[in-house]
Amino acid sequence: MSDLLGIGASGVRAYQTALTTVSENISNASTPGYAKRTTDLREIAPANSLTANNATTTGQGVSVAGVTRAADSLRAADVRNASADLARSETGIAWLDRIETALTGNQLGDRLTGFFNAAKAVAADPTSTTPRSALLEQASAVANSFTATGKALNNLDADVDATADNAVATLNTLGASLAKVNEGLGRVTPGSNGAAQLADQRDAILDQISAISDITVTTDSVGRATVKLGNAGGPTFVEANQAASVTFARGTDGTVSFALHTQQAVSTVTPNGGALAGVIDGAARIADARTKLNTIATAFTDGVNAVQAQGNDLDGKSGAALFTVGTTPTDISLSLTDPRGVAAAGAGKGVRDNSNLANLDTLRTSGAFEANTTALISSNASTLANRKQVADAQSAIRDNAVAARDAVSGVNLDSEAVDLLRFQQAYQASSRVIQVARDTLQSILDIH
Amino acid sequence: MQIGTSQFYATGASQLGKLSAQADTLNTQIATGKKITAPSQDVVAYNRLSAIKQANADNTAYASNISLAKSLLQQSDTTLTAVTSQLQRAAELTTQAANGTLNDANRKAIATELQSIRDDLVNLAGTTDARGQPLFAAATGKGAVTQAADGTVTFDGTGEVPAIPVGDGTDVRATDSAQRVFGGISDGKGGTTDIFAVLSTYISALNAGGTATASAASGTAATAIQSALNQVSDVQGSVGARAARLDIVSSQATDAAGAREVDRTALEDTDISTAIVDLQKTMTILQATQASFTKLGQLSLFDYLK
Repeated sequence: MSDLLGIGASGVRAYQTALTTVSENISNASTPGYAKRTTDLREIAPANSLTANNATTTGQGVSVAGVTRAADSLRAADVRNASADLARSETGIAWLDRIETALTGNQLGDRLTGFFNAAKAVAADPTSTTPRSALLEQASAVANSFTATGKALNNLDADVDATADNAVATLNTLGASLAKVNEGLGRVTPGSNGAAQLADQRDAILDQISAISDITVTTDSVGRATVKLGNAGGPTFVEANQAASVTFARGTDGTVSFALHTQQAVSTVTPNGGALAGVIDGAARIADARTKLNTIATAFTDGVNAVQAQGNDLDGKSGAALFTVGTTPTDISLSLTDPRGVAAAGAGKGVRDNSNLANLDTLRTSGAFEANTTALISSNASTLANRKQVADAQSAIRDNAVAARDAVSGVNLDSEAVDLLRFQQAYQASSRVIQVARDTLQSILDIH
Repeated sequence: MQIGTSQFYATGASQLGKLSAQADTLNTQIATGKKITAPSQDVVAYNRLSAIKQANADNTAYASNISLAKSLLQQSDTTLTAVTSQLQRAAELTTQAANGTLNDANRKAIATELQSIRDDLVNLAGTTDARGQPLFAAATGKGAVTQAADGTVTFDGTGEVPAIPVGDGTDVRATDSAQRVFGGISDGKGGTTDIFAVLSTYISALNAGGTATASAASGTAATAIQSALNQVSDVQGSVGARAARLDIVSSQATDAAGAREVDRTALEDTDISTAIVDLQKTMTILQATQASFTKLGQLSLFDYLK
């Protein structure tokens, strides 16, 4: 009869644990990275049940073998890969969007059109200084627009550096945290609540890392993660309780790069996903936009100054340069301040002549500055539009991957309610077993 | 497949967020009246809109040139009409002066009137235009004509003023030089002279006295004035033709601008009725999603555990 008491007591203990696990699941239903846990219940087999050939031997009750985490490492890896792809696109989109603003914000195309049209007004009335002054105003507006656009792109460079520094700092912190979690996983008893907690933390950190860089993860028997940046052949970022550090650098030629430092060596990191890859994409796009803008600016200033030099100003002198270029091609300022200095007339053709302005019109057509500016903006815009479409698709892929993972590891309150009911009843039944055991024993004790 | 509770809420939030963003986009399109606010929204449309914008700006610049050229041609036309009437009066006077019954005093009176006609012509030649420039200026030189202390008139500068651009590859010369209006008259000896010299010579001859001299001089002057009249008439005809050409250029530009505006509207402007219908549709779906989300969110087994 003492067996009955023991069995009842084991049931009460086991179902208490099971109820605790269910409550834990319920309270963490919306905790990010929490994977649903289940209590493993095992029957306590009777000692020597196989050898003691005794038909009446019964079991010894129930015990808690451990806590199982409902996790699927393949689905978790899918989520990480999808997140890395999406983060790369989204970071790239953010930069392309800002490049678009930088290129369109100063209305360079409109200013160029305004400049060439102001020259048409001078052609109609070459001897008056009013349209000439208007032309100089427009020239100044074009110069400012080039300068401001160039500066906006330079500011983007500074922002790229700041973003990359932040991302790298976050990545290093996450790496250090993961190393600590690995250390913990090495010490904790497998199958315990502590192990499940650490595994949750590990997966949450891996998710965060994959938003910064694409990673390849392998786990050992106790669940310690080894993280390689990029594919399986990439440099090792975290292994056991050791984390390497990643650095960001911008070369003198403006190209950006990432490197991984361990105590032994320094290796180059070429991220193909995550925010780091987005930063590299963005930096390349900014450099490309700047090169194209510089080409337009140089062709424009050289062309206009050459046309000026061909003609005569209102005082019959050879035209002076209209623009001065500073340290960068877009660093343009107006060097001509006297409206009489605009060389509207052909050389030696008299003050009422406007034939040199026809050369400016020819320059407008041959240089195609406005069309090139539009093309520069369009090429960035079409890349941006494509990336947005890709990001939409990647977002759907990520959502599906998350849904597939959560279908396994997510907590559903309804099924927890069912479990709660089931374990509560089992607990009550086990208590009843204890009572029955006591009553039965008591009935023997009551025999006088 | 089991849906995690947290997943259910995350999906709901994302769906509602997307619908709200869609409604917001439509609302912005309706409020601003523009479909495209950034080039990346429609690259092809952006390219065409840029070209349209540039063409419109060019058109505005050309339109102000056309209006200036028109006003200059109008002024030329008015001035040339005045020149013609002065020359016609001079021609009548040559006929009068050739009459053998006149005496020297009569001829002197005619000479006086011719002198005033000549002064008027010099003034007309020096007319300033809407820009404050000499209307009949040449490409070079300060004014149009200069009258010396002894009354002789010379043309300032040489060459015709360059044309004003009024369209892509189209330009119109808005004014003519004084040389072209008043000079270039055959002097009957193989050379050329101008109307001012012709009148001066004729006035001197009339003042000199004598019927025979006056008669001969009147004949020469009549021929010269007639050829001056023909020349002014030619110039005036050319002015009229150029003004007509400007009208054609101007109306072509207006037509092209109208066509561009139609294109621009189609590319850029929000189709209000479609946008409002879309917004209504989005709002209906949003409300339905909110309702179904709330209903599903209320479903919990815990409510039945008593």
